[in-house]
This record gives sequence, structure tokens and C-alpha cells, in this order.
Amino acid sequence: MTAGVYVHVPFCLTRCGYCDFNAYAGLDHLASRYVAALLREAELAAPGWAEEEVVSVFLGGGTPTTLEVADLKALLARMRDGFSMDAGAEVTIEANPDTVDRAKLTGLLEAGYTRLSMGAQSFDRAVLASLERLHDPESVRRAMRDARAAGYANVNLDLIYGANGEELESWDGTLRETIDLGPEHVSAYALTIEPSTPLGRKVQHGAVPPPDPDLQADMFELACSLLGDAGYHHYEVSNWAKPGFACVHNLGYWERRPYLGLGAGAHSYRDERRWWNVRPPEEYLTLVESGRLPVGGEEHLEPSDAYLEEVFLRLRILEGVPSSWVEPEKAAPFLESGLLREDDGALVPTERGMLLLNELVLALAG
Amino acid sequence: MRARAQTALEGGPSTGPYHDAVTDPSRIRNFCIVAHIDHGKSTLADRLLELTHAVADRDMREQYLDKMDLERERGITIKAQAVRLTYVSGGTEHQLNLIDTPGHVDFTYEVSRSLAACEGAVLLVDAAQGIEAQTLANFHLARDAGLTIVPAINKIDLPNADVEETRRELAALVGCAPEDVLAVSGKTGEGVTELLERVIALVHPPSGERNAPLRALIFDSSFDAYRGVIAYVRVFDGVLPSSAKVRYMATGQESEAEEAGVFAPEATPVPKLEAGEVGYLVTGLKDVHQVTVGDTITHAGKDQAVEPLPGYREPLPMVWSGLYPAEGGDYSELREALDRLKLNDAALAFEPETSLALGFGFRCGFLGLLHMDIVKERLEREFGLELIATAPNVEFHVIRGDEAIVVHNPSEMPQPGTYDRVEEPMVLSTVITPSEYLGPIFELCQSRRGELIDMSYLSPERAEVHYKLPLAEIIFDFFDQLKSKTRGYASLDYEPLGYEPSDLVRVDVLLHGEQVDAFSSVVHRAKAPVYGRQMVERLKELIPRQMFDVAIQASIGSRIVARETVKAKRKDVLAKCYGGDITRKRKLLEEQKKGKARLRRVGRVDVPQEAFIAALRVDNSSKAGTRP
Repeated sequence: MTAGVYVHVPFCLTRCGYCDFNAYAGLDHLASRYVAALLREAELAAPGWAEEEVVSVFLGGGTPTTLEVADLKALLARMRDGFSMDAGAEVTIEANPDTVDRAKLTGLLEAGYTRLSMGAQSFDRAVLASLERLHDPESVRRAMRDARAAGYANVNLDLIYGANGEELESWDGTLRETIDLGPEHVSAYALTIEPSTPLGRKVQHGAVPPPDPDLQADMFELACSLLGDAGYHHYEVSNWAKPGFACVHNLGYWERRPYLGLGAGAHSYRDERRWWNVRPPEEYLTLVESGRLPVGGEEHLEPSDAYLEEVFLRLRILEGVPSSWVEPEKAAPFLESGLLREDDGALVPTERGMLLLNELVLALAG
Repeated sequence: MRARAQTALEGGPSTGPYHDAVTDPSRIRNFCIVAHIDHGKSTLADRLLELTHAVADRDMREQYLDKMDLERERGITIKAQAVRLTYVSGGTEHQLNLIDTPGHVDFTYEVSRSLAACEGAVLLVDAAQGIEAQTLANFHLARDAGLTIVPAINKIDLPNADVEETRRELAALVGCAPEDVLAVSGKTGEGVTELLERVIALVHPPSGERNAPLRALIFDSSFDAYRGVIAYVRVFDGVLPSSAKVRYMATGQESEAEEAGVFAPEATPVPKLEAGEVGYLVTGLKDVHQVTVGDTITHAGKDQAVEPLPGYREPLPMVWSGLYPAEGGDYSELREALDRLKLNDAALAFEPETSLALGFGFRCGFLGLLHMDIVKERLEREFGLELIATAPNVEFHVIRGDEAIVVHNPSEMPQPGTYDRVEEPMVLSTVITPSEYLGPIFELCQSRRGELIDMSYLSPERAEVHYKLPLAEIIFDFFDQLKSKTRGYASLDYEPLGYEPSDLVRVDVLLHGEQVDAFSSVVHRAKAPVYGRQMVERLKELIPRQMFDVAIQASIGSRIVARETVKAKRKDVLAKCYGGDITRKRKLLEEQKKGKARLRRVGRVDVPQEAFIAALRVDNSSKAGTRP
């Protein structure tokens, strides 16, 4: 069976106010130990995954490009040694524009990281400031030029819309700049306020207004329209790709294929079991260094859990839910109101339906 | 009651100096203290208990007679009590029966029955506040009951006490010389002995025939889990033995009474209660409705009295509200709790009703807003129920030809054109206020469809105003408005004036075209559009966005008088969903699903319970007649 491997790198230059990922600023001194631990964990986990054919590797974070190219190269080499890995496997690395230059990008590509995912977020300085991102729009343009010059032919740009102060015009500008830069793949996320983040607390205290859902809906529709016109295929709620460039690794999550997570806080999934590593990097290091798998928890999916996941993931990737799964009277009102359409025996959300996906999931799977 | 009755049951020692010998009626005085709320009645009662050594010093606690927790916290007295005091005056031992009366406008009938058990009343007025609305109401009740009035000023120890001015007001009210008004302090005890002497000197001893057939007035009752129904009685004629077969003349009920006793102040059994005496009777009955306040007890079989004592009437609910369990499954618990409360509260009425919006519940009748609040609070506190209450309403009479339909629930009001007229209850309200606030009070009463009856000045600074008002206006935040317009200085009392025709219409609220019965209200035609607009605007803030535009409308019959729209929600989707997110997102969806299950469905619209509660919350205070 095909599987994906995710490697988590929890280091960042700074923490952004909206981010609730398992990421830390100021832990760089742990980097070399952390790389060693990742190598070790891969070694410990690999025998259990001998049956799976690894078709994708994804280095996420955090900011994986804070690590040295040599370390990143060793890591990928270990993957190829330890797992049965497809020669044409998709290998992605996330990068912040400010952590990469042409030399580093050249090194990464040579090391085998053939897909680059860059956190552009916005081309509006005010929006970047509101998101507490350190880079400026020019860095993104430069990083993109460097990536092309280094030879990258598969680049994703991450965008965030709906930050405090962002208007539809600003978002329109960001989308147009993105399209002009011509990445193969675009991820556009509505800013979500997570209560545990500094931004979440500001919203709770009323210091920052929460995002306006109607404006975010307008922004989503604008993204659908502009990216669609520019030849990007909308294949998941927040993801668009030029033909042939849909992200193999992420599709693995959404199609419920097995994945192995390495690194602090990484999640793994196989055979309706999901488990996750301990989150704090120090704890992760301690466990791995003592030769143990750093598992912090697990869950077994009941058939009802699995069904709910199946339904919401299928709806997210526009594959849709087979009509035969759903009682016709449950789907009828949504077909009528244009939130669902029927496509080759499947119920598929429309653009408006995608915006109200939770309602669709609860109505169809509930 | 439980504590007292158990004492009696266990035959515990009496803490009071009660003597078992029959007292000559000439040495008995039955009296009460009447006052506006917070004028210090309970504290004065404490001093009387001390002065007569009714309670040992070590057992004394504040507001001794207000035993129920609820009464203590609210600073009011719901249940009248009678305590026997022994006091030596001029070398002669007297039996003084102090009958405590409720101090709230909701309980006027109970007050009147307590007064009927007395020959005299101490009319108590706070030296810093002067005469207030319930001072007047209580004075008139006591005078109409033929009681000797003993006027007294309380709280003379307060730094802002105005004893002379209060003395003038009180003397003018009672029609006595200013020097006949006593000045006391319930707090320090100053003047309390003089007060007792004055009661003995002025209040008549009870008349009544000990050899006549038994007639005892029930002036209050309560329910004890172990002993059943306890009647508080004043014997007018004859002798009430400790155990006897007795008959309740109004209800025709008979029972084997188990014990007679007095409160001294703990319950103490006695062999008999004779004409002129006050005490309690353990009736042997288990349902408080068989022992109604105002009824007359006589002997069953031979020696029956022919004429009951005057003044009996059925308790009459004035204010109605729908009570629904917040959790639909608690319906049977609510029924049981109401049944239990009714054991101890003859005035509580309830009948099952079904609301499309709120499910199964009860339409409950109360004496007034305070009574309603007390019942709700007891249901929540003592029975652990979470309740949704509809806005309180009065009882309407819909006249169709010769037929009068009684409507307790606004959503049951027939549509216009199907009846001849509607009548609503009116009250005569008395407001006492510093004269500088007369303007705002006139404005308030006019805006509430009031009709000025008359006004007069108690002093150059204080006025007494009488307005005829619809009761429906009073129960809709009138008291809060009165208090806020007079900085808390005005006091209010009211009495029923019967029903009058009125141009009332039913205003309905529709969600997406569906009538929400719980939000229907009967209001005056001229005010209906404003009321409709308020409800619609309030609901617009409370109804969460749905998958479609939701029209919120207020209508009178088929005419829409107000409309707002809750726009359809457009976005409800999780932005990111990768490997580590899937478990969390699934759980979020499950939470969302649970939340949906808690919504109530009105037609196609999902309404959270909190929205119902918030929309039904009238900024209302039940404390009409109480001080801020």
C-alpha cells in the first residue's frame, strides 16, 4: 500500500501570533540533536513500515529550512535506505522566504527536495505586519526567482486571508501577484483564530476583532474565481494546483492512506489507528535517545468515527460522497439550494457548499 | 416548621417560660406589627422575644422568627407566624400573642387573615424613611379590620432619623396626638418596654364565648414532612382540644387533629386552646389544600358551629407564566416539584401546557411577581431544576356573547374579530414619593395607560398619588422604572379593582413564517407596534445565522408590524485539515453536532435555548413594594 512520511521540524525564527503549531523560537541549539533523533526514529520505525511503498515525504514545521542542507540531505538518504521508497516520490520541504537563498535552494534540490512550499501569506505589507510575519513582499518575489533559477519546477505558495485590517482589495492584489509569480500550486487559508494563541487571546479580550466570516466568504469566492481563471484547479477546500501538480502527500491524508509521522508531535495513521508523538522537543529527544518510540498517545477509530472522517475528507477534496451512502431526503435540500451537485453518482459540494462544509458533513453523515 | 414540630414530637424542653394554666381572657393580648418592608419589624420582634425571655440568650439569633432560608435572604417574611410571649405588667402576668404578618403586596389576603386574628396592630414606621406605600396599605387594612392601632416610630438610633417629622406624619395618618406616637429602636431596645405597656393598655382583650361551639380561624398553614398540614389558628369561640375530630367549614373536610400547641417560640404542645388564644393545630391531613387560609375550624359531629367566621375567600392567582424545563426530560421532575411546592403553598396554581417552541411545561398562576420569583427560585434551588419562564402575563377575560373565556396564556387569545371584547384586570395603585419626583411619576403612569385618581401631600416634601392602572402594565418592569425615576425613593402598593374592557390585541412573533407561541403577548393596540419592534430587534441579535435568510416578524392578526432578517450564514468550514488535524477536526465536528442536538427547532429554524431565555427575560423586578 502507498504511504506518506511526514517529518516535523519544530524550530522557527519567531513565533507568529496566529500560529498554534508545535513550533518554538529559540531552540536552535537543539537542532543537531534533533536531526540525530529524527534519523534514529526513522530507523526505529522503519521495520514496521516495510510493507508500505512510500510515495511522498513532507518536511513541515516549524521552519525545516532552519536546518543545514547537509542534515536535510542525510535525513532523506536515511528515508531512501530505510523505507521502500518510490524513485519518483514527491518530496516537499516548507520554507520561509527569508530562510532560503539561491545557494540553499540549489542544495535542497540536489539533496532531493523537489517540491518547495513557501509561506508567502500576503503581498500586502500591512497584512504581513498584522500576521506578525517578518518578511516583506519583496522577499517572496526574490525567493521565487531564486527557486526558479535553482531549477524548481514545483512550487507552492501559502496564503492567508481575512487578517485584521485586510480588505477585499488587498486580497485581490495578493491573489494577482501570486498568479503573476506563477507557482504550480497555491494554498489559501482563511485565518482561523485559535484560542490558545496570542492572537486568540487578543480576540478574546477584544483588542483585535475576530475575522468577519462574510468578508472571508467573499475572499474565498474571489480566490476561486481568480485562481480558476488563471488555470488552477480547485481540488481541496483550501488548495489549488495547475494540472498534474496536486500535492500527492496531502492527498494521502484526505484519501485516508497510511502515513508515518516523525518528529515532535507528529501524527501517524494506519489501519484505523492514529497515534502521535510527544509534543515538547526535549521530551521527544529524551525518549528517542533512549531507544524508544516517542509515542505520546493514540486512538482507535470506531467505524462511526472512520465514517465521519471519510465523509468530511471526501467532501473536502471534491471527490464527493457516493450518492448511495446518503438517504436521498438528506441530500435533497442541499441539492435544491445549490450547496451540493450530483456528479457521476457522487454528491459533490459546490463553491458555496465548500464554504458551508461543516453543515454539509453534519447533515449527510449525522 | 419542621424544626418546631419535631421539638414537639420529641417532647423536648420548652425554651420559653410558658405556663400550662388557662389564662383569663382579660390578660390576653393578640397583636401584630405591620410595617413597610425593611422598616425593622423583624428586629423589633427579636427585642420582644428577649424582653419577655422567650428565647434563651445563647439561642438568640437575628431575625429569629424568619426561619426559612429564603425569607432571611430576601429580608421578607412569607409565612405568618404566631409567638406566645409572657410579660408581667403591673404585677400581673399577661399572655401576649405576637402574630407576624407578610409584608408584601402579593400577600395582601394573607395579611388580612393575620390581622383578623388580632385585636391590635403596632404600626411601625422607619424614622429615616417616613410613611411609605405599604405603611398606608397596612394601616387601612388594620383599621378596616377594626384593630386598635398603636403607632410607633422605629430606628430612632439612626443618624438620619427624623423623629419629629415622622411623628407628625404618623399622627396625621392615625388621627392621634403626636405625643401618642411612641419612639423605639429595635436595634438598641430603647422604648420597647414602653411599647409593650402601650399594647397592654390600648389593645382590647379578646372577646369570645368559651362555652359556645368551637370557631377557630385558620390564618396560615404550612406543611411538615413528618406531621402533615399544620394550621395556625386563632380560637374565637369555644375550646380546641389537643386531639379531636374537627371540621373545616368552607371545604367541608374533616380530620382527626393530633396535637394543639403554641409557639413559645418553639412549638410546644398544650392540652387545649381556648377562646381568645392563638396557636397551632397538627391537623392530621396531608394536603395543604384541605386546610385553606381563612377557613373556620369547628367540631365535627355534635357541637358544630352554624356560622363560619367571616372573610374567607379562595386564593386568586393574579400573574401567570409558563414554566418549562430547560432539559425536556425534566418534565416529570418539574411536575413532582410543583406538586411538592403546592403542598406548602395554597396560592400556587398550575396546569400542564404544551408549547411548540418550548415543549412540555406548565402554565403557573401566582399571587404576584414576588410570589412567582420565590416559586421559581425554590424550584431551581430545592429541586435542582433549570427552567425557562415565559414573560409573565395577567389573566384576560374574552367576552363572546354571554360567554366569558378565561385566557391564561397569550398564545391562546382568540384572533381579533372572533369576540366582542377583552377585559383586563385593573388595580388602584398608591405611590408615595418625595414631591420632586411627581413629574416623572406622572409621565411613567401616563405611559402605562394610567388614570390619575387623586393626590395629596403627606408633608410639603412628600406626596401620595393614586393611579388606576392595568395590572398588565405593573407586571411589566413598572417597579424598576419607578425606582430608577425616583432614585429609589418612591414606594408602591396596589389593590385589585376588578376587570374592565380594554383595546387589547395579541402580538405574535414569527420566525421564518412560523409563529413562536412562547413569544406571543397581549398588549394594548396603541403599544403593539412598539412591542413588536422591540421583540423583533432583540431576537435579531439572538437567533444564530442559519443556512437561509430568516425573517423575524411581529404580527397582529395577519398584519405584519415589524420585520428584521437574519442573513444566511455563508461560511462554516475548517480552513486546514492535515495529518495532525484530522482527529481534532473530527472532534470539533462532533461537538458541533452535539450543539445542534441542543437546539430547539421552530419550523426550519434552529434556536438555541439561551436565545429563548434571553428573549423572554423582561427587565422586571418582582420587588414591587420592597425597597431597593
